[in-house]
Amino acid sequence: MNLQYSGEEAIAAGTETVWAFVTDAGKVGHCFPDLIEVTVQDPTHVEAVVRVGVGPVRGKFKLKVELLPDAERRRIDMKISGGGFGSAVDLTAGADVVDAGAGRTLLKWGGQAVARGPVATVGGRVLDAQAKKLIEQAFANVRQTLSAAVS
Amino acid sequence: MSTDSKPAGSIGVAMKRKEDPRFIQGKGHYVDDITMPSMLYMALVRSPYPHAEITSIDATEALKVPGVKAVITGKDLDAAGLGWLPTFHGQDKQMVLAIGKVLFQYQEVAAVFAETRAGAADGAEAVEVEYTPLPVVADPFTAKTDTVILRPDREIKSNHIFHWEVGDKEATARALATSATRISQRMWFQRCHPAPLEPCGCVAHFDTMGRLQFHVTSQAPHVYRTALSLVTGIPEDKIHVISPDIGGGFGNKVPVYPGYVCAIVGALKLGRPVKWIETRTENLTSTGFARDYHIDVEIGATADGKVTALRVATVADHGAFDAAADPRGFPAGMFGIVTGSYDFPAAHAEVDGYFTNKAPGGIAYRCSFRVTEASFAIERGMDILADELGIDPVELRRKNFVRRDQFPYPSPLGFTYDSGDYHKTLDVALEKIGYQALLKEQAEKRARGELMGIGISTFTEVVGAGPSKQFNILGIKMFDSAEIRIHPTGAGIVRAGTKSQGQGHETTWAQIVAEELGLDPQNIMVEEGDTDTAPYGLGTYASRSTPVAGAAIAMAARRIREKARKVAAHLLEVGEADVEWTDYTFQVKGVPARRVTMKEVAFAAYTNMAQNEPGLEATYYYDPPNMTFPYGTYIAVVDVDRDTGEVKVRRFLAVDDCGTIINPVIVEGQIHGGLTEGFAIAFMQEIQYDSEGNNLTTNFTDYLLPTSLETPHWDTAKTTTPSPHHPIGAKGVGESPNVGSPAAFVNAVIDALSPLGVRHIDMPLTRDKVWRAIQAAEAKKASA
Repeated sequence: MNLQYSGEEAIAAGTETVWAFVTDAGKVGHCFPDLIEVTVQDPTHVEAVVRVGVGPVRGKFKLKVELLPDAERRRIDMKISGGGFGSAVDLTAGADVVDAGAGRTLLKWGGQAVARGPVATVGGRVLDAQAKKLIEQAFANVRQTLSAAVS
Repeated sequence: MSTDSKPAGSIGVAMKRKEDPRFIQGKGHYVDDITMPSMLYMALVRSPYPHAEITSIDATEALKVPGVKAVITGKDLDAAGLGWLPTFHGQDKQMVLAIGKVLFQYQEVAAVFAETRAGAADGAEAVEVEYTPLPVVADPFTAKTDTVILRPDREIKSNHIFHWEVGDKEATARALATSATRISQRMWFQRCHPAPLEPCGCVAHFDTMGRLQFHVTSQAPHVYRTALSLVTGIPEDKIHVISPDIGGGFGNKVPVYPGYVCAIVGALKLGRPVKWIETRTENLTSTGFARDYHIDVEIGATADGKVTALRVATVADHGAFDAAADPRGFPAGMFGIVTGSYDFPAAHAEVDGYFTNKAPGGIAYRCSFRVTEASFAIERGMDILADELGIDPVELRRKNFVRRDQFPYPSPLGFTYDSGDYHKTLDVALEKIGYQALLKEQAEKRARGELMGIGISTFTEVVGAGPSKQFNILGIKMFDSAEIRIHPTGAGIVRAGTKSQGQGHETTWAQIVAEELGLDPQNIMVEEGDTDTAPYGLGTYASRSTPVAGAAIAMAARRIREKARKVAAHLLEVGEADVEWTDYTFQVKGVPARRVTMKEVAFAAYTNMAQNEPGLEATYYYDPPNMTFPYGTYIAVVDVDRDTGEVKVRRFLAVDDCGTIINPVIVEGQIHGGLTEGFAIAFMQEIQYDSEGNNLTTNFTDYLLPTSLETPHWDTAKTTTPSPHHPIGAKGVGESPNVGSPAAFVNAVIDALSPLGVRHIDMPLTRDKVWRAIQAAEAKKASA
C-alpha cells in the first residue's frame, strides 16, 4: 500500500536553529508520536520504538531512522524502515528548510510510505488517515519543541 | 431356512446421516481438540514482504519470552536436509521456511515453540527479521517479461513454469479462419480461496517407540504418510497419520504445508508433542488458493449457430511455487474438459503457468483439477456466441449438444465421456423453471426499462481420477481402496482410503455395503483417516470418493458375497452353483422359499462354515477404467437494480445428473453447499493483491462468506444416467454445483445488462462493479 503526504510547518526560529534541530538524531527521534523508547546510534542514525494502532491492529513498531542532510544545509532527507507484529513500513521523507524572514522558518515536508502486512491489510481502511495524522504530528512536534526552546 | 425378515435395499434411500448426531451435539473430534501431556505450541513468523532478501534473523529476544523453548529457521532446516518440500505433481519444490529470500507475503520464515499458544505467538512477534525489499511481480503478465526472475534456484532462469496444450492446433486455426461467425473474449476467473471453517493444523508426537504419531487435517492421509517419509527420511512404517473429524476441506487440505514439517521437526528436536493450528489469516494468505486463470476464448460457428471450433489460451498465476496439487504430467489438471457438453469438430487449448509473488496453490475449492475454470470459459463463451448470433442461448446449446447416441463420446481434447442425455436434462430444467413464461416476463420488464436476466449453464464435469495408467500423485497411481469385515451378528466395518470432510461417507459407504450384502446400514461402521487401519488410498478430493472408493467398496462387498455364497450353499444343503443372490438374500435357484439372509450366513461363517475358510472379510483396490462425467443444467433468474448495481438472485434451479444416487438427502446437501460456494465466487469472493503484492483479503471482513441472509433459495431436480463402467453407476456430485453455477450467475447478470450493450464483467460481480458497468454502458450510449 503506497501512501503519499506533504505539508508545512511555520516555526518561530531561524533557519540555523531549525537546521541544527532536524539534523540531530536524538532530537528528531523524540519527535515521533507515541514514542516508547529512543536509542541514538550515531549522529545520523537512531532507533525508535513507537506504539502503533491502526484500526484493529495494535502493537509496537521498531523503526530504524537514517538522517541524510544535504551539503547546502537546506534539505534534510530521512529513511525510516522497520515494523512489528508481522507488518513492515518503509518511509522516505524530506524537508526543505526555508527562510521565511523575520527570524522565522518554513519547514516544507513531503514523504511517501509503503506499508505491508496486517497494518496495511487489516488496518487498510483507516491506514491512510492514521498515517497522515502521525506524520503531521511528528512535524508538529518539531515545531512545538523548537518554538518552546526559542521562547 | 431363514427366520429373518426380508432385507430391503439401501441405494437411493434418503437415510439420515449417521454422523450428524455427533456433529449437531458438538461432539465432533477435531485436531484442535487433541491435547497431550507436556504438549508445546508452535507459531510461525511470516514475512510482511512479498519479495525480499532476508538480511538477518535474530531470535535472541524471542528466546527470552517466558515459555519459549526453541526457534528454528530455514537455515536450520536446510542444514538438516529439510529445507524444501516436493510439490505433489513432482515438478517443483517449495521452501519449508524461507531460505535466503521470501517470495510471497505471509511466507513462513521461522517457527517458534513454546509452552502455551500465547507464548508461541509472543515469541514469534519477538523474532527480529531484517529484509531488503526486492522488486515485486504481482501479476503473471509482468512475470512473463522475465524482467525480475523470481526463482533463481531453478535451472531455467525464467518465471515461465510450464506450457501445456491439447488438441489439433492447425485444424482449429483453419476452422476458425473459415467460420461465418467468430467470437473472442478475455475472461479472468479470479483468485479465490476455499476458506474451510476449520483452518489447517496438526499435532506431531514421537511415541515411546520413536514412531511419529501425526494428527492432521488431511484429505489424503496415506499420501501424507508417503510424502512425509520422502521429505523427512523417516521410514514409512514409523509414521502413523490420523485425520480425525475435518471441518471442511474443499481441496485446501490436500497439500502438505510447511507448518506440518516444522511441527514434526519441533517434536523431534524437543522430544515433546507439538500442536500447530493456523489462524484464519494464515489460512487465507498462505494455503492452497483456487483459480487465477486469465482465459482467452474463441469460438467459431456457422451462420445458423453450429459450432465449428474452440480455441482457448490461458495465462495461469501459480504464485511463488508451483504447488498446485495436480496429478503428475497434468500441470493444467483436467482443463481439457473445456469443450464442455458441445460437439466441437475442432478444438485446441493451451495453458502457460507463471510464478508471481503470491501464495502458491491453484486447484482447491471444489473444482476437480481446473474443471471449474474450463466450465466457466465454455459456458460464458456459448452465451457470448448466442448474443453475437442473436440466438436464444438455450437453442444454441440444444443445437450443439453431444447427442445421447454419441456416447461413449471421444472429445476433441482427449476425454471419452461415459454417458449422458444432455437434451433430456435441459428439457427437465426448462419445464421445471417455466422458461417460456420467464422469457415473456423478461420482455415485459425490458419494455419498462427494468433489468431482468436469465442465465443458463449446461456444464459437463470430469471427475473420479483416475485410471492409474494416466494419473498419479508423487508417482502413486490414483486408485482407491476398501476393506470390509462382516462380524458374526451381521454388523460390520468398512475402512476406506478416503477421508470425509463433511461429505457423509459414514452414511454413504454403509449404504453401499448394505445394498450389496442385504444388511442394515445402521450396523455398518465406517472408519477412515487412520493409516494404520485403512487400506492405502489417495484420499477425498476432486469428487473422486464415490467414483473410485465407492466402487472399491462395492467390489469388496461383492467379494464377500462370493465367499458367503459358499457358506450359504452349505446352509441350504445345495451345491454352490445352485445358489443365487436375489432380493438381497441367497436363494436356491427356482425355490425362492429356500433362502438365507447375509446375517444368517455371517453367523455361520464364524460358527458353522463347514470346509470353508472362516470369517467374512475382503479388500479391494479399485483402478477405474475411465473417469466419470457428471453434468447438469443450471438456470439463474436475476433482477439488477439499475441505480445501485445490486443483483438479486430471484430463482435458481439446479438439475443434476450424477448417475446413480446413493443417498438423495446427501446429494441435495452437497448441491446446496456447492451452489452457495458458486454464488459466493460469482458475487463476493476474490483474494485481492495490490500492485505491491500485499494481500488485501486476510480475514472474513474482506474475504466474504455468504450467510443465510445473502444465500438465495435453491431448487433442485435430477435426471439419472448411470455411468456404464462404475459398479453401481454412480458418477460423483460434490463439485458439480461449484463447477456449473458461476457461469449461470454471470450469464444471468450479463443477460440482464445486455440491452445496455454490456458483454462481459469479470467476477466477482460486486454491486460497485455492476454499477460501473451500467454507468459506462449508459455513457457510451449517450455519446453515440
